[in-house]
Amino acid sequence: MPSRRRTLLKVIILGDSGVGKTSLMNQYVNKKFSNQYKATIGADFLTKEVQFEDRLFTLQIWDTAGQERFQSLGVAFYRGADCCVLVYDVNSMKSFDNLNNWREEFLIQASPSDPENFPFVVIGNKVDVDGGNSRVVSEKKARAWCASKGNIPYYETSAKEGINVEEAFQCIAKDALKSGEEEEIYLPDTIDVGSSNQPRSTGCEC
Amino acid sequence: MISDGVEDEEKWLAAGIAGLQQNAFYMHRALDSNNLRDALKYSAQMLSELRTSKLSPHKYYELYMRAFDELRKLEMFFKEEARRGCSIIDLYELVQHAGNILPRLYLLCTVGSVYIKSKEAPAKDVLKDLVEMSRGIQNPVRGLFLRSYLSQVSRDKLPDIGSEYEGDADTVKDAVEFVLQNFTEMNKLWVRMQHQGPAREKEKREKERSELRDLVGKNLHVLSQIEGVDLELYKDTVLPRVLEQVVNCKDELAQFYLMDCIIQVFPDEYHLQTLDILLGACPQLQPSVDIKTVLSQLMERLSNYAASSTEVLPEFLQVEAFSKLSNAIGKVIEAQVDMPIIGVVTLYSSLLKFTLHVHPDRLDYADQVLGSFVKKLSGKGKIEDSRATKQVVALLSAPLEKYNDIVTALKLSNYPRVLEFLDSGTNKVMATVIIQSIMKNTTHVLTAEKVEALFELIKGLIEDLDGTPDDEVDEEDFKEEQNSVARLIQMFSNDDSEEMFKIICTVKKHILTGGPKRLPFTVPPLVFSSLKLVRKLQAQDENPFGDEASTTPKKLFQLLTQIIEVLLNVPAPELALRLYLQCAEAANDCDLEPVAYEFFTQAYILYEEEISDSKAQVTAIHLIIGTLQRMHVFGVENRDTLTHKATGYSAKLLKKPDQCRAVYACSHLFWVDDQENMKDGERVLICLKRALRIANAAQQMSNATRGSTGSVALFVEILNKYLYFLEKGNPQITVASVQSLIELITTELHSDSTSPEPATDAFFASTLRYIQFQKQKGGAVGERYESIKV
Repeated sequence: MPSRRRTLLKVIILGDSGVGKTSLMNQYVNKKFSNQYKATIGADFLTKEVQFEDRLFTLQIWDTAGQERFQSLGVAFYRGADCCVLVYDVNSMKSFDNLNNWREEFLIQASPSDPENFPFVVIGNKVDVDGGNSRVVSEKKARAWCASKGNIPYYETSAKEGINVEEAFQCIAKDALKSGEEEEIYLPDTIDVGSSNQPRSTGCEC
Repeated sequence: MISDGVEDEEKWLAAGIAGLQQNAFYMHRALDSNNLRDALKYSAQMLSELRTSKLSPHKYYELYMRAFDELRKLEMFFKEEARRGCSIIDLYELVQHAGNILPRLYLLCTVGSVYIKSKEAPAKDVLKDLVEMSRGIQNPVRGLFLRSYLSQVSRDKLPDIGSEYEGDADTVKDAVEFVLQNFTEMNKLWVRMQHQGPAREKEKREKERSELRDLVGKNLHVLSQIEGVDLELYKDTVLPRVLEQVVNCKDELAQFYLMDCIIQVFPDEYHLQTLDILLGACPQLQPSVDIKTVLSQLMERLSNYAASSTEVLPEFLQVEAFSKLSNAIGKVIEAQVDMPIIGVVTLYSSLLKFTLHVHPDRLDYADQVLGSFVKKLSGKGKIEDSRATKQVVALLSAPLEKYNDIVTALKLSNYPRVLEFLDSGTNKVMATVIIQSIMKNTTHVLTAEKVEALFELIKGLIEDLDGTPDDEVDEEDFKEEQNSVARLIQMFSNDDSEEMFKIICTVKKHILTGGPKRLPFTVPPLVFSSLKLVRKLQAQDENPFGDEASTTPKKLFQLLTQIIEVLLNVPAPELALRLYLQCAEAANDCDLEPVAYEFFTQAYILYEEEISDSKAQVTAIHLIIGTLQRMHVFGVENRDTLTHKATGYSAKLLKKPDQCRAVYACSHLFWVDDQENMKDGERVLICLKRALRIANAAQQMSNATRGSTGSVALFVEILNKYLYFLEKGNPQITVASVQSLIELITTELHSDSTSPEPATDAFFASTLRYIQFQKQKGGAVGERYESIKV
């Protein structure tokens, strides 16, 4: 029987404000899209069951606030991530330039055991806008950056049209599964064989 | 003591994590052996760690996230239990046996989430139960995190339309009701937190409250994600209920943050359609709330929306967004008498950007915004706050960026009035911005009236505003500024000569106020601008004598005389001389002999009386000779007078080599290629011989002083002149004279007394090669070289 733990895969989506993180998640999980811009506050996840090699996994997809002022509690939720998705808008150079910051920030804060091989996936979103005419980041440039960071898989998507979203998340799930991120193994100092394990904390009963 | 506090906190967190991990370990074992009783027991003990009051929100969040992850495993176990046939209702009852309320409620929420998923009870009822029971936790931090947990686990189970948990009727309302209730309770906990604990820790508490803000704000995000919240539901229920909470809590921190959240999480269309409600809440907020930022953010959002597509613009018109925002801003400014000027500028700046995006065709709106701003500023003197002045520059730059055309901005009657509130330094910055905009877009300013208006805007660069020159201006900066004014003057043009003449007069009027430091920069472009018009009139050649009213070259030359004259007081005689010569040449082309003669006379007077530096004299004399050579308008007498003087000046230069060069240059005054009556070979020869004599004298002097070199080069230069006139067929230049000059140079170059001059050697060698080349080429010119021996 597979360990219970390995059936839950935690994925974090990062990227600048307005690149379409929430839309990608909504398109993937709910097959829905809204053109309206709505900022995300704090961190928030949706889950989706995925089948992979005859096994069922739960993908826990964390959508995050791109605007720093809506991330007041910090990023403790990065902990235990199995894959990190970096999203930018192909029509915004700044959002692409910031990928590096997001990646580094993630590696510092999440401190995975093997940062060199931690699975990232890069998504260039909004390829549908203006028929691609307002695009400013070329696929070549994006792929070159991905290659320079240890061959990060790269997808170009349109959350609006649902283009490539499924494929990208397939890859995300696969990489999350492969990720060697083992949860820190906890062994209690003394194994209490008795059953009268009193709660340590004292105080009121509130 | 503070560092101890931080250390202690780390210790407490570590202890909390240890306790949590230990219990989680036993929970896992219980889960692996499907022991429900133990699983519940250890999970409750694990969750007891969240009962601590010793951690700051950040640390508490870390602990909470660990518990959260563990609870996911428990949740999965519950799901499996349910699949195996265990009754969720029983489970829901069972977890309520946990001894402490906080673990109990976490477990209840976890089971509740599975309960809703199992669809054994309507989502609505379970959610209502959970949100009611969460009232049991009244400690703000613990309560906020518990409710945030509830919000998270119920997030994908809300009875939204189209959701699998959708009930029979009014189901979205249930979802909204649940979130609103949770939001209300969380906001109360959050606001109340400030009153708990000793007063001396208020600052720390406020910091902690600020950290907790996203837990409260997230509810609004959840509301915005509910698909069933359409405009109607938003307008009738969501917004009023949220605002009621915001207004009534009377808390500065909460009000500012939640207003920001509302603006950011809900879509633009909703804001447009509910502007009255949203703006109506603003005056009801605490006076200390930073409303200007709130409103600016709203306007910025809406501006971006308007900029995104022209299709949305009718929406703005339909709801009269501009007048509503304008009114709201007016009221806020009126109510907050003490609002610092930076706040006022920020508000008007946002409103202006808004109107430029939404109503690009309504210049009157933009002018109205500027007008209100002026009204607010009037009587307060110049703006002193440097941040505020920066904002004003941004405000005034906005119309330029939008229209890419100063001419449009010139129509804004309040524009120059705003400038008056800026100090002279900022006025200059603004003037530079305006000029840059014109240059960038190559906007041609077409009428005298607009030039006048433009000068009004950039007067910071044109004159010393406070009457006295500013000593502190950096020399480089000053040059940069004045060069930009010079470039600007070139941008004034009109094909109609009468209008152009008016423009020139307008420019003249303004630049003459600039004082001696600016004139050397501004006079030349004006002179060339006028000369351009002269040449245009001359080319048209219509009515060359002109009548009284119309613009004629003559009239322009009179104007030019006046313009250049001002440089004499600067004083800038060298520049004036150059400009006089330019004018003389233009007058030459217009066949105005007396005018051209007059300009030359002026130039000569300057040369004689004002230019005393020997280097400046050399430059000036060559300019004079060059210009005079090209003049064809002069009769014999005038020309003789002028050339006579020019040769006279040449021979009187301070240094022999300079004399020599100027004198041989004068030879060209007597030989003009394309004019048959201007070929006086004899006087050419006189010049060249005189040059030779001077070169000789220079040679002797340098021999006497030793060391000083370069005089042989003079002979080579003169040889080149001989060759030139030989080629041109001047009968006075004989092969014999060329020959003897070559011999002279050869001797000089090999003489022991001269120090080696590699440059001169090379020059001479090249000259000889040229002679060879011409000989070989043959033809009419080659024949003249025929008998020269090299």
